[in-house]
Amino acid sequence: LSLKAGARHVVHETVHDAPRRSAWQRLFGSDGDLVPDLGEARVIVSLDSDFLDSDGPMLASTHGFAKGRSLDESEHTHATLNRLYVFESAMTVTGSNADERRPMRPSQMAALANALRRAVEGEEAAIEATVGEAHVEPELLAALVKDLRAHSGEAVVVAGPHLPESVHVAVAAINRAIGAFGKTLAWSPEPAALPVTPPEVIEKALAEGVDLLLCLGVNPAYDWPGGGFGELLKKAKVSVGHGLHLDETLEHCTFALPSAHNLESWNDAVPAPKVLSLCQPLIAPLFNGRQEAESLLFWTQAVAPPTHASRAHGDWYVFVRNRVVAALNGAGYPAKWDDVLKRGVFELAGEAPAMPPLDEAALGSPEAAEAPAGSYELLVLPHHGVYDGRFANNGWLQELPDPVSKVVWGNVAALAPDTAEELGVEEGDVVRVAVGDRHVHLPALIQHGTAPGVVVVTLGHGRTGGGLVAQEAAGVNVAPLLGAESAAHPRVALAVKVEKTGGREKVVRTQLAFSMDKRPIVTDGTLAEFRHDPAFVQHKRHTPDMVNTHESPYDYSKGHKWVMAIDLGACTGCNACITACQAENNIPVVGREECANGRDMHWMRLDRYEEGDPDNPAVHNMPMLCQHCDNAPCESVCPVNATVHSPEGLNEMVFNRCVGTRFCANNCPYKVRRFNYGHYQEKSLSDPVQELAHNPQVTVRGVGVMEKCTFCVQRINAVKFEAQNANEPVPDGAVQTACQQACPAQAIVFGDVNDPESRIAKLRKAGRAFHVLEELNTRPNVAYLARVRNPALETPHEDGGDHHA
Amino acid sequence: MSVQESILAPEALMGEDLDFDRLDEKVLTPLESFPTTRWLMAISVTGAVATLFPVCLVVTLYEGIGAWGNNMPVAWGWAITNFVFWIGIGHAGTLISAILFLFRQKWRTAIARFAEAMTIFAVICAMQFPLIHTGRPWVAMFWFLPYPNDQAIFPNFRSPLIWDVFAVSTYGLVSAMFWYTGLIPDLASIRDRAKNGMRKFIYGLASLGWTGSNRAWSHYEKAYLIFAGLATPLVLSVHSIVAFDFAVSNVPGWHTTIFPPYFVAGAVFSGFAMVAMLLILLRKFLNLQAIITDKHLELMNKIIIVTSLMVGYAYAMELFTAWYSGVMYERYVFFNRAFGPYAWAYWTMVTCNVIVPQLLWIKKIRRSALLMYPIVVLVNVGMWFERYVIILTSLHRDYLPSSWGFFTPTWIDIGLFVGSFGLFFTLLLLFARFLPTIATSEYKVGMPGAQPSHGGAHE
Repeated sequence: LSLKAGARHVVHETVHDAPRRSAWQRLFGSDGDLVPDLGEARVIVSLDSDFLDSDGPMLASTHGFAKGRSLDESEHTHATLNRLYVFESAMTVTGSNADERRPMRPSQMAALANALRRAVEGEEAAIEATVGEAHVEPELLAALVKDLRAHSGEAVVVAGPHLPESVHVAVAAINRAIGAFGKTLAWSPEPAALPVTPPEVIEKALAEGVDLLLCLGVNPAYDWPGGGFGELLKKAKVSVGHGLHLDETLEHCTFALPSAHNLESWNDAVPAPKVLSLCQPLIAPLFNGRQEAESLLFWTQAVAPPTHASRAHGDWYVFVRNRVVAALNGAGYPAKWDDVLKRGVFELAGEAPAMPPLDEAALGSPEAAEAPAGSYELLVLPHHGVYDGRFANNGWLQELPDPVSKVVWGNVAALAPDTAEELGVEEGDVVRVAVGDRHVHLPALIQHGTAPGVVVVTLGHGRTGGGLVAQEAAGVNVAPLLGAESAAHPRVALAVKVEKTGGREKVVRTQLAFSMDKRPIVTDGTLAEFRHDPAFVQHKRHTPDMVNTHESPYDYSKGHKWVMAIDLGACTGCNACITACQAENNIPVVGREECANGRDMHWMRLDRYEEGDPDNPAVHNMPMLCQHCDNAPCESVCPVNATVHSPEGLNEMVFNRCVGTRFCANNCPYKVRRFNYGHYQEKSLSDPVQELAHNPQVTVRGVGVMEKCTFCVQRINAVKFEAQNANEPVPDGAVQTACQQACPAQAIVFGDVNDPESRIAKLRKAGRAFHVLEELNTRPNVAYLARVRNPALETPHEDGGDHHA
Repeated sequence: MSVQESILAPEALMGEDLDFDRLDEKVLTPLESFPTTRWLMAISVTGAVATLFPVCLVVTLYEGIGAWGNNMPVAWGWAITNFVFWIGIGHAGTLISAILFLFRQKWRTAIARFAEAMTIFAVICAMQFPLIHTGRPWVAMFWFLPYPNDQAIFPNFRSPLIWDVFAVSTYGLVSAMFWYTGLIPDLASIRDRAKNGMRKFIYGLASLGWTGSNRAWSHYEKAYLIFAGLATPLVLSVHSIVAFDFAVSNVPGWHTTIFPPYFVAGAVFSGFAMVAMLLILLRKFLNLQAIITDKHLELMNKIIIVTSLMVGYAYAMELFTAWYSGVMYERYVFFNRAFGPYAWAYWTMVTCNVIVPQLLWIKKIRRSALLMYPIVVLVNVGMWFERYVIILTSLHRDYLPSSWGFFTPTWIDIGLFVGSFGLFFTLLLLFARFLPTIATSEYKVGMPGAQPSHGGAHE
């Protein structure tokens, strides 16, 4: 097999940002991407861009955003925060973190972008002209424009990948006016994603007939816009599918080749400009698969076919090694391979890539925005866990609750409360969503904060191939709805029919109630309150002094005392901690049915509460895990002493001693205990491959046993014993819990509170620190730092009702 | 003092045509004849229903507690409901035999034996549930007990579940011994009447060589009095301690000091209702109307009214305390009980336990087995729901709304509950077949012509 001349490389990606990329191409004359530097931005405006979740480099964005939310209590009188304005059609992670958020349809974004552009460019009247249609108060837009102008060079406006080119041009004009280019927006000439090939081009080429079709790491038979790739596949004389799973595409190909997983492969990457990273395998390929790139190398260069034995150090390895070393040497790093292996990542010195000059003419003048708004509009988003379906065979991600709706194991059609009422739809009613002659049936979900008239659906479910887990999940493939939309407005359809079908399907969610019910669970405040008094939260919570009726058996002021603090101001609710905890602690995946039965096993969860106007609620995220109470209610009721306190303040769970009365779970006011209601680990223990996923440092729990967060006691002990052997104190920061390590916002801090110099000891004294349900005198060892909001308007919008009037 | 007389003197309650021989005849003859078709049919049905219990138990052991509807946050469900329900049923017997004995309520002699038997069977049913409801009963059965072991781990004596183990097992043992002591003279009567050698031997063994001598009677009555004295505090303690399982926790709706007396009153209430429900059937099938008269039923109904009012007071006081405490979590739990998703269960409980029993104020209903029957059945329904409401509505919505959930029983839950009834009735049928259902020796003491021989018959 060799590649003949005339081979053509086409790129298929469902979740692409073609309009944005083509706008940059038009404005800057070369292909590339603009990457916001959120850490530097004081004012951030998002038009339907979920940059804290699905749009762009989520980890870097979250890290940067959280940096802009950090507060120094010692200088509280002139503390500052960034301010996030979000105008969005779906309720997203980004919207949940907004200081000012307004729900708005996709079709209204162009009008808003152009109005903002005019206003920023000096035409004040533009605001008044637009607000009517967009349902945004003029005061807010006026404040926004004022903020943008006042923070020239420190502000950035971003727009979602599915918005039309005209929006991105308008946004570029705003960013130019506020001096964002080169400051808060960096130019990346080598973005990770290649520009996509329009599907119709690929369709045409295939319809004309090809000799050989190679599908490398894509699954078009599943996610082709509008569906029907299976027919096109047959037009190729020979088709080859190369993928991780025997998915819909591989099933239909002449040859199906198993790919090696990233964790089994050598590779290199440029995750950001001037950063070179090396991917190293953690394990030899389990199933003798090989990477797509390795296959290509082999096919085109006629090197010896890699064998299992040579895989780890074969030709592909030599190729990657030479490439990385050459790249580093070229950049002036006389690096040796051993150093490269050790360091893994290189931040290359030198100037950041220069912004190409902006073609002013291409900016044009603000277009009169005329969007043909239908009665209902459709927005198709990638799924938070399984993305476009590529991660659908991963149980961790299927069972990872959506950060907003808390839906697991399936997809839904999310509707605003008013829209649902209009359609006569309740949660679980199956609705028919039709675009042209294509339609899907999905259970409805009433999601507060969704823009009225918008139906939000997610990609990635309804798999018919690709593995057991992918196929077991519920949900429907919404790819058939794509393709009917205009290329200018990908994954959005402006004329959608939504009907109630009369069918019912259970929507499985891990959280059912989202109101705090006026309980003092999460407390937050505004920047003004913080400036006035950084301990504002203490006055809002009125906790009485409490007396212990019995002595603690330990003197916690001696030795170690392990304590955690979680900064709710930094936490975006991205879910990374949940999966990190699941991986670290061998937490089983229980499946859709057990989740529906209320038996999900996550030791760490993200509680989400909404306050105020149900059409646009203020959102609180609260990571909730075992609070390791010093007066633990669970401990006193266990009849067999299976859960006890350690002298270091940990609430320990002795799995072998547990008989499973579940009284501890009843008595835990935080409901963080999880019970093995079934043989959840049976499969993972009997399958030699799944068994490899277990952490050998952590016991795998059997049926009938209670479990819960241990503060990663295995990590504490590993560090502690090492320090003891070396006869040295445990350095601050040496013990990192899994959740803390994974948190891109660095919202979680863990350590020994008896070490007065430790970060945690200082945070523990912070004015913003509070404990949940402290009035029960549980004395938790997890403190939360209150979130400080930075609203633009004097009266917060929680009053509600305003925009009904 | 005629009212007092009529309560204290059993002859006032008795049917007209009863003397010593006829009493023996009536009570003991059914034991000496071949089982009736009716009995065989009945035990076939109850036996079949009882097999549901082991079947569902095997499924539970095989699959784990997930075979039931329990989840997080509702970690306790039907098993604990059934446990408290059966323990409550098991209150009437010892109350009747011990407390009423000490209070010289002689009318108790007609119903004491049967009520005690019922108590023991109810405790047997009750004791299944806490054990099988643990995730790992195969270790729970040992680790609940304080025995010296190589790891030097004892049970946690701060946990009310450990107090429960002691309270329930003590109650079960003392009730069984008390019951057996009372049975000895009657077993001897059966032995003396037996014509078959094997029968004579078995009942002879069981009656422990009873001679009926003055010395034997004297020892017997002392033992009986001691047991009554021992059992009396247990009647109050066992359900108080069961109430601690809830009251000691910090779950809103459980964490309340009214629970122990409230649970005891409820237990007596349900126990008497169950005794009445079964006695009506028993006297019908065994033709014991002359021994267990409508007057007996009326007296029991009076206790049912009293305890119903006590339970009703507790319901009202719970609401008041929740409101008066000002604790929002408590307030919410009670609001949610009355108006939340399980309001139907709450109102079933209130209707059956507080409203319906008020019909017993009407003398005609109180004295009619037919009219009172639906009432006592409903009381039992209501008392099961009381435990269900307490457990479910407190757990399903406690402190953090993020963790609120629901509970739906599975067929295994239902099977275990129904199966426990099968077990209970099977044991009762076996009892009615092989042991005297009326304490004849005690009953005779109160009959005309009897020599007053044990404590209290001063007149």
